[in-house]
Amino acid sequence: MKAFWIGMANLRRMFRVLTNIFFVFVFPLVLILVLGATFGGSSSPRLGVVSVGSGSLGTALLGELEQIPHLRVVTVSDPATLLTQVERGNLAAGVIIPPGYDGAVRAGHDAALRYLARPDQSSQQLGETVRGAVARQAALLGSARFAVAQHAAPDFSAGLAAATRLSPAVPAVSVTQTNAGTTLFSRTLGQFDEGAWTELLLFLFLTAMTGSVALIETRRLGLSRRMLATPTSPATVITGETLGRVLISCVQALVIILGSALLFGVNWGQPAGVAAVVIIFALVAAGAGVFVGTLFRNEQQAIGISLLLGLGLGALGGCMVPLEVFSPTMRQVAHITPQAWGNDAFAKLVGHGASIAGILPQLGILAAYAVVLLVLASWRLRRVLSA
Amino acid sequence: MRAAWLICVKDLRARLRDRSALLIGIVVPLGLAFIFNSIFSGISGASDVISLGVVNADHGVASQQFTSHVLPAVDRSGLITIHTEPSLARARALAANGTLAAVIVIPAGFSARVQANQPASMQVIGNVDAPVSTQIARSIAESYAADLNRVRLSVATAAGSTPLSPAQTQALAAQAAATSAPVTVTDVSAQTKELNQKSFFAAGMAVFFLFFTVQFGVTSLLEERNDGTLARLLAAPISRASILGAKLLTSFLLGVISMAVLVAATTVLFGAAWGNPVGVTVLIVTAIMAATGIMALIATLARNAEQAANWQSVVAVILGLIGGTFFPVSQAPGVLSSLTFVAPQAWFLRGLGDLRGGGVSVVWVPALAMLAFAAVTGGLALFRLRRLAEV
Amino acid sequence: MDGAKVGERMLECRGLRRSFGKIVAVDGVGFHINPGETYGLLGPNGAGKTTTISMIAGLLERDAGEVVVAGEPMTTHSVRAKGALGYVPQDLAIYPDLSGRENLMFFARLYGMSTAEARHRSDEVLALTGLADRAGDQTKQYSGGMKRRLNIGIGLLHRPRLLILDEPTVGVDPQSRNAILESVEGLSGAGMAVLYTTHYMEEAERLCDRIGIIDHGKLIAEGTRGELVSMVGEGDQVRLSATGNLTGAAAKLSARSWVRQAKALDGGIDLVVENARSELPAILTDAAVDGVAIRSVEVTEPDLEAVFLHLTGRALRD
Repeated sequence: MKAFWIGMANLRRMFRVLTNIFFVFVFPLVLILVLGATFGGSSSPRLGVVSVGSGSLGTALLGELEQIPHLRVVTVSDPATLLTQVERGNLAAGVIIPPGYDGAVRAGHDAALRYLARPDQSSQQLGETVRGAVARQAALLGSARFAVAQHAAPDFSAGLAAATRLSPAVPAVSVTQTNAGTTLFSRTLGQFDEGAWTELLLFLFLTAMTGSVALIETRRLGLSRRMLATPTSPATVITGETLGRVLISCVQALVIILGSALLFGVNWGQPAGVAAVVIIFALVAAGAGVFVGTLFRNEQQAIGISLLLGLGLGALGGCMVPLEVFSPTMRQVAHITPQAWGNDAFAKLVGHGASIAGILPQLGILAAYAVVLLVLASWRLRRVLSA
Repeated sequence: MRAAWLICVKDLRARLRDRSALLIGIVVPLGLAFIFNSIFSGISGASDVISLGVVNADHGVASQQFTSHVLPAVDRSGLITIHTEPSLARARALAANGTLAAVIVIPAGFSARVQANQPASMQVIGNVDAPVSTQIARSIAESYAADLNRVRLSVATAAGSTPLSPAQTQALAAQAAATSAPVTVTDVSAQTKELNQKSFFAAGMAVFFLFFTVQFGVTSLLEERNDGTLARLLAAPISRASILGAKLLTSFLLGVISMAVLVAATTVLFGAAWGNPVGVTVLIVTAIMAATGIMALIATLARNAEQAANWQSVVAVILGLIGGTFFPVSQAPGVLSSLTFVAPQAWFLRGLGDLRGGGVSVVWVPALAMLAFAAVTGGLALFRLRRLAEV
Repeated sequence: MDGAKVGERMLECRGLRRSFGKIVAVDGVGFHINPGETYGLLGPNGAGKTTTISMIAGLLERDAGEVVVAGEPMTTHSVRAKGALGYVPQDLAIYPDLSGRENLMFFARLYGMSTAEARHRSDEVLALTGLADRAGDQTKQYSGGMKRRLNIGIGLLHRPRLLILDEPTVGVDPQSRNAILESVEGLSGAGMAVLYTTHYMEEAERLCDRIGIIDHGKLIAEGTRGELVSMVGEGDQVRLSATGNLTGAAAKLSARSWVRQAKALDGGIDLVVENARSELPAILTDAAVDGVAIRSVEVTEPDLEAVFLHLTGRALRD
């Protein structure tokens, strides 16, 4: 029971400093929001189109481009802005439908669209998509022109009208699409979902690591000694300190999970599964935090190392860039970190709707991490407190 | 001036001994850049090329036209590679496991149906996790299909309501096929004015941690006041301005040392490309000045060193986020992408990006923006510091 | 101001006034210190000693008044006046991350010495403070006493003409305290002017040539120890523990001009005399004449505590 009070004292001390509230609760939620808003939506590339003054045919072509799936079309006011946006990477590529496009084509001249792309591959590859849309309109235009040439139509507009009318009746060559392979996520993820669980794991670990600084302060202020001078066994003190970290982690997780669910509609999956992952990961983080806390005497150094480990392991474990983007080799390396296993668990819970039974392997491995780190931590803490 | 320099040297010596400045200024950002570099070097490279497969079960005229003229033209650029697969089953398996992003299948009887003016179709089998590449494959197929459709529609339009004999149809079709498409697409290459991923992370980490590194200067003024050594400095035959100047100078020099080491290390170790040295130097110096000014101002608003450090960290993290040092926020919707310019970090990264695609002169606007930050915040800080430097 | 007279004085301050919000911390304090003199500023906690010192050292802006140090006017911006002053603050003011030598070298250079001079002088001070063998260690590793010695040593680096010590013995163990007092005696013996603030009466009595008593921001009395004590007008208390004809002896003693009071009590005689030290033989002789057997003599001279009590009605130390 005393351990619990030691733990609560830790929790209370953390809350007293206002900036802690920011880093532990507010910032993770803000980050989830920004991540989701920036990347969570469709990952389709953005194509900028300038179609000013291109007439009704230009507008029709723009419509064709907008129909293309997995492509987001953004209208841009002028070519100079388009160029800047493409160069800066805000747009994957750009298309300029020249002014007077409509008139030129109707008059029987050929027209050329300009496709702006950066030297990198993805920008250039998108050109094929544009060509496809252009080809579809070219079918109508070419037919109209042909009709005029064959004197089947008095002028281009009549020809175009005829072609448009006849088009549905003409037997067409079409393209059908099917998909192959197992999808990474069988359920569609919400815009903020993946960002939410990755950031949760990142911050649980990071907070526990930087919280280890609080442990150093406890030592430095001579409080640990004072605690030991009371009829409290070292084992109780150790349990209390560790419990404090776990309590903080659990409160943090609760706020982030509920907050993101309420504010951004994040889906977390089966509650039992989520609770299991969170609690076991909190134990891992607490063990790591306490262990690091015992290694340093100097607060400043501890903060530096905590940041490095917290952010570094988080990045390596797929909390900043998702694991599915890693190369196979790096993905294996990533699984040195507990974060990677946590990410796997959540991907199953949220992405595949798994229950707690479905993530038992991941939970098992995380539990192993927890045991090892907690044993190391209590061994070190015992040595340090008696020094 | 001499006094300011003496105090600055003393501070630098103490800081570097402390190792915390070394950690925050060099070790942590370098370590993170290394980790990001490892992650990303496993991703970029060969996998940027899209691998498509084609299964030609037909071998007729129309399909040959596709596989021997259309596809090679696509393949020539080197961006999209076409692999001919003999069996559909194998091709489907390759698409399923992701080796191929998508497969274009021309079923048997395709050319015959095309010839007979009957409906015909090509199939695209796409890997479920590569929607963009699959769309590209589909577009390639659709371009060809649209071209065939153009001929058909041309014939139909030209014929109007008059029924045609097969021979007439053939003749018209040949004529239609001979005319070129009225609309073409010409490629225009744009420069790249953004940092590649390696360089982005190196620069992002460096400028993010810069705002922590420069904290050590002015915050030390608060520490000295607490520790009592400020009284000694004030009792010494030196001007107050030299004490204040020394603290700002310490921040600045720590920033310079940190950034210099990071630029050198990331370039040599990870192959990060920062860009034209003159441009990079201008951007770095003005960024350090902006960071010093902002952090100094916050320090003057705090009551003690601990509070100062806390607030500075909060501001540094927020500015780092909206400034796009963690990930690019330029693609974020509306408010966020305009909000980014409140952060000097955004100007710094923008400057480096533009520098990649342009000459040195592109850095003047970002540099001036950061100088403005420095001037305003630094001025306010100095004003408040004069009141602080009292026992 | 008379040029010749001013040139003699090491410190001249007049009408010093400073408020913090509504609280008037120093109200019209003024005194002077002659070359080679040790002047003590004695007062209880909160009397305004540190505020006065801060204004004299140019650390704090004055609301009113003047300070002239070695002929140079002193303000928060005065570089020349500060060069003549050595300052030893109450709290330890040394850099923990630098070594003892580095601390000294830094301040020496700050006071305008060249590197060579600084090195030479630092060695001297290290020897003087007994820190020579630990000179290379960071001061955070020093013991409390060592840190105190260094704290004082820094004040002496530039051979100041006036050394200000602000309550240097607060919270210090008796041994170190004695060492500090001895060093200050040594310094004043060597001709340095010293301004010494304290709330310990014994220190003021032991070290100072002249003492200013400060309370609630005002200088309520000033002078040598003798002058101050005589202000009280009390005289020394002599307590004789004796047997015999005590009343007779008391009456006899009362007759003496330098005896203010003589009272016979149960077991002894209580006297109040002027200058007990010189008159003690006469007291004993007078008492013994009438067959009074004296067992013990206790002489209590009025001290500065008594002076303070007399002037303010409060104790010097609470």
